[in-house]
Amino acid sequence: MKQNRKAGRVVDSVITHIVLIVVCFIFFFPCLWLILASFSKSGSIYSFRGFFPTEFSLDTFKKLFTDTTMYNYPKWFLNTLVIALGSCVLGSFLTVLTAYTMSRFDFKSRKTMMKTTMILGMFPSFMGMTAVYLLMTQFGLINRLWGLILIYSAGAPMGYLTQKGYFDTIPKAIDEAAKVDGATNFQIFRKINLPLSKPMLVYTALTSFAWPWSDFILPKLLLKEKDLYTVAVGLMSLDETEFARFAAGSVFIAVPIVVLYFSLVKNMISGMSAGAVKG
Amino acid sequence: MEKWNGFCEAAKNSSWKVKLSAVVMGGGQLLYGCWQKGLVYLLVELSVLYYFITRGISDLVGFFTLGTQKADPWTGTAGDNSVVMLLMGIFAWIVIAVFLCIYVSNLKDAYAIERRVKAGEQPISFKAELAQLLDRKFYITALALPVLGVCVFHILPIVFMILIAFTNYGGSIVPPELVDWVGFQNFAQLTTLSRFAPTFFRILGWNVVWAVLSTGLNYFAGLGLALLLNKDCVRGKAFWRLFPILAYAIPGFITLLGFKFMFSYGGPINQIIRDLGGTAIGFLDLDAKWSARLIGLFVNCWISVPSIMLLATGHLSNRDMTIYESARIDGANRWHQFKSLTLPYMIFTTTPVILSQFVGNFNNFGIFYFLRGGLYMDNYFLASDTDLLINWLYNLSIDNNYYSIGAAISLVIFLITSTISLAVYVRSAAFREEDTFQ
Repeated sequence: MKQNRKAGRVVDSVITHIVLIVVCFIFFFPCLWLILASFSKSGSIYSFRGFFPTEFSLDTFKKLFTDTTMYNYPKWFLNTLVIALGSCVLGSFLTVLTAYTMSRFDFKSRKTMMKTTMILGMFPSFMGMTAVYLLMTQFGLINRLWGLILIYSAGAPMGYLTQKGYFDTIPKAIDEAAKVDGATNFQIFRKINLPLSKPMLVYTALTSFAWPWSDFILPKLLLKEKDLYTVAVGLMSLDETEFARFAAGSVFIAVPIVVLYFSLVKNMISGMSAGAVKG
Repeated sequence: MEKWNGFCEAAKNSSWKVKLSAVVMGGGQLLYGCWQKGLVYLLVELSVLYYFITRGISDLVGFFTLGTQKADPWTGTAGDNSVVMLLMGIFAWIVIAVFLCIYVSNLKDAYAIERRVKAGEQPISFKAELAQLLDRKFYITALALPVLGVCVFHILPIVFMILIAFTNYGGSIVPPELVDWVGFQNFAQLTTLSRFAPTFFRILGWNVVWAVLSTGLNYFAGLGLALLLNKDCVRGKAFWRLFPILAYAIPGFITLLGFKFMFSYGGPINQIIRDLGGTAIGFLDLDAKWSARLIGLFVNCWISVPSIMLLATGHLSNRDMTIYESARIDGANRWHQFKSLTLPYMIFTTTPVILSQFVGNFNNFGIFYFLRGGLYMDNYFLASDTDLLINWLYNLSIDNNYYSIGAAISLVIFLITSTISLAVYVRSAAFREEDTFQ
């Protein structure tokens, strides 16, 4: 009987691990495929045997940065970086400010504002975009990088709920104590609450960086010149004969964000789950 | 009612100085010696007056007429641009709304000053009031910028699109042609016989099927993966978790384009099929209805499961494990434990997540845009059989200028998602109350 149970446990463990291996393979395989493809010697997908290239070299990466007449990848990369960094700084600032105010202050229009953002969130994000596109064409703001930064950061405070949840978990007693000591609300925010919410800040900065970094709808709508493309729009314009270039470009833009996620995953999960408690 | 009584009382008790503020903004403040504030209010009133006399009134008229004079290149008359007129009209309404708020605050302020003076106190100095903006009224300073941004880039476009849904803007009617208000005609076109209606219902049907299927699939796959990783016998959980996080971190458009290449004609899967002696299959071709749909479901799973897994892992570790102990003593096997303990708990705690996933999937633009974008089929008007409403909306309004129909579709999407969200929200709130009652 006892041995039987032990055998059952071993079988169970083996099956569990087999399923895990299969699942992880499914997740890992497409990534591996792209990474290997980026090191292939010939560019077209037709020269591959099955999933993998026949010959390997670093040429594609070299070509990606030197052969820029048709596809100016370095420029795309720079554009993306400018947009993502700009929206990250401005957007995080606005989001944290909004979340903090919503969490700490009790004012008359607070409930109305919270309800309004909830209703606004239910409109398809896209609906606004067609209008933004129309507005931008009317005012001649097409083909401007800072126009994109403006739109991204202006939209960021709409997602303040997670951050508000995080601030809600910081006890208000600390604020009261500081107030007794004569600190103004602005000082309390800057000197007490901000340093206490580092995981949440990291989470906010990361998400507001990752969104413009990988968004394709807005840049596709608003940036019509090839030299102003972001990487997402640029990579979309590559076809099957340029597969290796696509793979190399993807790997190059995915690596920084993946490294960021891996190094900050602890902060992220605590920022996310603490915020979810009282969401 | 209470507010009204307060207003009546204030109107009765206040002196002529406060009432002066009702006509000349800032008048009361000036008479009570708060000259900086008084001047600010006065300046606001004068500039709003100036705006309305110079262009505000004609903008408001333009909002209703949307232009009467068509441009004529022969006679050289510059025509009205209906879209700009609509926009300026909205702007004029916003000015009116903001002005009303400032006007009310002006009256309240004058009344407050008078009460202070009557009580024998000094009115608060302008400097002290500015200092309050950094302290007691810090929220005004903090929220000014975010609210402004959201208004300009969120609310204004949405209001604009809602209004567009009731005009005939689009198709051949774009400036310099004049646009007109048409009431509910666009919605009638969507639902009754026209070239839009059959496509609309076909796409709506598939959209609902897609949202239900993909949400269910993603949720249970994510939950299953979290449960699997949570098992005691699994060694090196952090290592196994790396792979889903990797998938989570890769930008979505790269994943989608990658999968498109993978299933394309020259892609690796078709090469293997050819090597084995078969003929290449057009997984994502014009006639590939269900294979394209299934690939869409699978790819969406690949993208969404990791985030659900991360969330579910967090919730699973919050469980009360003693219930499981007693269930085991009562002889419940693992399946029973899952069915009557884990699942109800998870569904209860993750209702908001399921809801947002459902709405997100209902409006999942990326999947079919990348896998099969730009295909137009015979039975469909500017769409294909995998397109969701949001893809159709894109095809119509961005690629083909059918703005008003597109705006009408967005409103339909909004109605559907908000109704569902509201229904679930009300139901789950009722559940919660029941739970606390017990």
